[in-house]
Amino acid sequence: MICLRKILIGLALSLILSGITSGADRFPPPDFVDTEHVIPSPTVPGPRQDIYEYIDAAVLLAALGLSSYLVIRKRSRRALFLLMVFSLLYFGFWRKGCVCSIGAIQNIVLSVFDREYTVPIVVVVFFLLPLIFTLFFGRTFCAAVCPLGAVQDLVLLRPVSLPSWAESGLRLFAYVYLGAAVLLAATGSAFLICRYDPFVSIFRLSGSLNILILGGCLLLIGVFIGRPYCRFICPYGVILRQLSRLSKWRVTITPDECIQCRLCEDSCPFGAIRKPTTNWSPQDFSSGKKRLSFLLVLLPVLALLGGWAGSSLSAVTSRAHETVRLAERIYLEETGKAEETTDASAAFRATGKEITGLYEEASNIRARFWLGGWFFGGFVGLVIGFKLIGLSVRRQRTDYQADRASCIGCGRCFEYCPKEHVRLKNAKEATDKC
Amino acid sequence: MKPRNNNTSEHVRATGSWYRSAIATAVISAVFSVVVCAFILLNHGRSRIVSTDEELELTNLRLEIKSRPDDEQLLSRIRQLDLQIRQQRMNGLDRSRKGSYLLLGGVVVLVISLKYAGTFRKRMPTFSSGTDKSKEQIREARFARWAIAAGAVILGSGTLFLAIRPKIDFLDTSAAGTSWPSIEEINKNWPCFRGPGGLGISAYTNVPDNWDGKTGNGILWKTKLPLPGNNSPVVWEDRIFLSGADPNERQVYCFDAISGKILWKGDVLGAPKSDDEPFEVMEDTGYAAPTVVTDGKRVCAIFATGDVGCFDFNGKKLWEINLGIPDSSYGYASSLAMYRNLILIQFDQGGAEDEKSELIAVDGFSGRIVWKIKRPVGNSWSSPIVVSIENQFQVITSADPWVISYDPAAGAELWRVNCMAGDIAPSPIYANGLIFVIEPYSKLVAIRPDGRGDVTETHIAWKMEEGGPDICSPVSNGEFIFLLATEGLLSCHKVADGKRVWEHDIQEYFQASPCLVGNKLYLLNEKGVMFVIEAGTEYKESAKCELGEDCHASPAFADGRIYVRGIENLYCIGNSD
Repeated sequence: MICLRKILIGLALSLILSGITSGADRFPPPDFVDTEHVIPSPTVPGPRQDIYEYIDAAVLLAALGLSSYLVIRKRSRRALFLLMVFSLLYFGFWRKGCVCSIGAIQNIVLSVFDREYTVPIVVVVFFLLPLIFTLFFGRTFCAAVCPLGAVQDLVLLRPVSLPSWAESGLRLFAYVYLGAAVLLAATGSAFLICRYDPFVSIFRLSGSLNILILGGCLLLIGVFIGRPYCRFICPYGVILRQLSRLSKWRVTITPDECIQCRLCEDSCPFGAIRKPTTNWSPQDFSSGKKRLSFLLVLLPVLALLGGWAGSSLSAVTSRAHETVRLAERIYLEETGKAEETTDASAAFRATGKEITGLYEEASNIRARFWLGGWFFGGFVGLVIGFKLIGLSVRRQRTDYQADRASCIGCGRCFEYCPKEHVRLKNAKEATDKC
Repeated sequence: MKPRNNNTSEHVRATGSWYRSAIATAVISAVFSVVVCAFILLNHGRSRIVSTDEELELTNLRLEIKSRPDDEQLLSRIRQLDLQIRQQRMNGLDRSRKGSYLLLGGVVVLVISLKYAGTFRKRMPTFSSGTDKSKEQIREARFARWAIAAGAVILGSGTLFLAIRPKIDFLDTSAAGTSWPSIEEINKNWPCFRGPGGLGISAYTNVPDNWDGKTGNGILWKTKLPLPGNNSPVVWEDRIFLSGADPNERQVYCFDAISGKILWKGDVLGAPKSDDEPFEVMEDTGYAAPTVVTDGKRVCAIFATGDVGCFDFNGKKLWEINLGIPDSSYGYASSLAMYRNLILIQFDQGGAEDEKSELIAVDGFSGRIVWKIKRPVGNSWSSPIVVSIENQFQVITSADPWVISYDPAAGAELWRVNCMAGDIAPSPIYANGLIFVIEPYSKLVAIRPDGRGDVTETHIAWKMEEGGPDICSPVSNGEFIFLLATEGLLSCHKVADGKRVWEHDIQEYFQASPCLVGNKLYLLNEKGVMFVIEAGTEYKESAKCELGEDCHASPAFADGRIYVRGIENLYCIGNSD
């Protein structure tokens, strides 16, 4: 029966995307080139009224507040689940996954690097509110407010634990993704996070086939591995992880003193429970010290190597910018390496603009990518270095604890703690007496 | 991965019917989802992958309409099919949308039922069996470091792989080139009818003025032309281009300037013609009267059939289009002009009231029509010229009744003058700040080209109404303008006011337009005799050279050379040293 259920789940989820793909079925406009008919200009729906944006922001604020309360004070997994469903319906299916805090990173970055770009206030709110709440309460945004996390959490049916080494290695991708997204946003090339948002097509029941496949695969994986996007891809999660380390209040597995019963040891599907540490042997301590010294020396080398590698990719990364792509296409056409024109190259040629001007503009953009590549690569190098250092530092833990960075506050571990049951029993008795 | 223990199956069974109900619901919803998904996929495949008979028919009809643009029955069928296909696709989209909602509902029920079933199968907490926690944690940290190192290696390898791939260097303009030649390059060559700007002025003064086709003196080479044509040669560095055509074939030729050999022939296939409407053109005009144009990278030609073809310098056909057979009394003869990447076609046809005439700009690289604009004129045989006037390029066209100037980049009309009538064949020229146009047998008009809109009343500088050539275009050295009538009457007028300075009847027949080399006029008569005349205040013949073959096309001038198209041969005249 278990196998049958797995097959059915996998089959159904993988086929969701195929069905929704048809929603992306489009066709070109009629061809009126040789006639006098003028194709009407496409009409753009007006922006939503400001009041709805403020409502969105208010809902976000309320959801974050409620989520924080449910995680820190109420400690109710069931209430969190209900809030998660609400967030999925409101921010996901109703608001079509936009605005989202994850994509807001790009708006903020672009507004920093492009003075002509004005970032909408609601985007700023969506970007900042979760960060502020994380500073105080940990990742309560991830717990029950983010629709991307919610859709993955709902399909988590048969969780398996990943080994910690795999978790560490895979998490590196999120940092690279964050760096790439910032680089592309800063250069005005693309909003990478939005373009490859794996779940927005599901929220909208329409989208490109590739993205639907990506979203479907992540959901399929998410049946067994909890929230793969949140843990290994989400660039906003990278920022939240770091802020969560500094949070004033945090999720605790037990509402009281840990009695080391080990019942919660395997309860977290996201691998966020840390076991108590033990003392190292003198031999391990000595080798650990040497390793740490070596890695500290290696850190600037990794940063420089990363920067150099990032800058050397400028010719590749700059292709994310439409001007560079157009210039390359024109170059290929001009040198006879491409025979047909594309719509873009034909449109450019129709403008009568100088090709040398286009080349010059593309070269300038490449130069920006070269500089940005140093920062991007340097960032990735530093992340690798710091991660290696972090894994070489001796930790001191006496109790079973939720990892400050990794814990998303889903509340699954609460019910595994005997002290939690005592608390609930006491609370019930107190209520009954009243 | 470490599968979690599952030791609660007995408990699950104990819960009995609720668990089974949940599983049954899950199975039903899964089957429902699969069925819906299958229907959606089928619908998707029908609309996206399978080309229906209607679509194939529409594709074929769209190809067919290019050769029969005025076939209303065909157009009607295309519109009907187009509507039919769009309706089918809209229906398909609608089915997809409904199916998506059904699928979403099915999956939601599936997830809920499985979640619910899961509540009956909660697992008891488990412990890891590790005995030495210290060693285990150190080992985990070591593995994690290796995992990160592996990630770094993968990133590095990917970077290396991408970095070593060839990249385009935009600064290497020698390889990239530009789409169009510079003014200097154009002026060094003879890229279109009557050379740079269509003015008939040679940039070189070292061209020969002594040759004899009968003895071969001064003739570097001559090459037989495969097909006839009245178009003139154009020259770009060491290559000469011509076109030729008969009722069945249309060709573009590239000659080697050194040897005279035909380097390549390019066929312009043209749109298939209807058999029941045989197309014939006046013999004097022929099927290849318009001169080709080149931008140094490609050469484009238009024929009397309305077929336009473009080739690169290696003879590879880049594109060809058909504009439809022009409704022209004597056959289409307007030569092509060029502005940057645009090939400009003065496609005048029918009467002015027919509203069929157009000026068309085609992208030289792709053959796509960049812009076209209706012209309120009848059919004409003059060629457009592109000249720079006060740092702005203008396309000047002359036809009955309007002389019109356009912005070549976008096709916007700049100014127009109503001063022409009849069959306009001489092309306009620009000299000393004035545009000169000729109404055959009637007048020469000088126009100031700095107006906007209809400037008939305000911008005609002067008119000389003592007659004008019917075929040959004028030429000017800035001080004088020279007119050559078909019957051989050569007259010289002042550019400033149009007053006649002198006239002389050469008593020969001319179709080729006069050209200016230094301060000498080169006049090629129909018998292939070149008259070299001083371009001064009085008629003075300084040389007369015979080619020995009839000529209708205007000659082309290059560094130390003249290229002349005879009826059957292309001649290169120059000094062997």
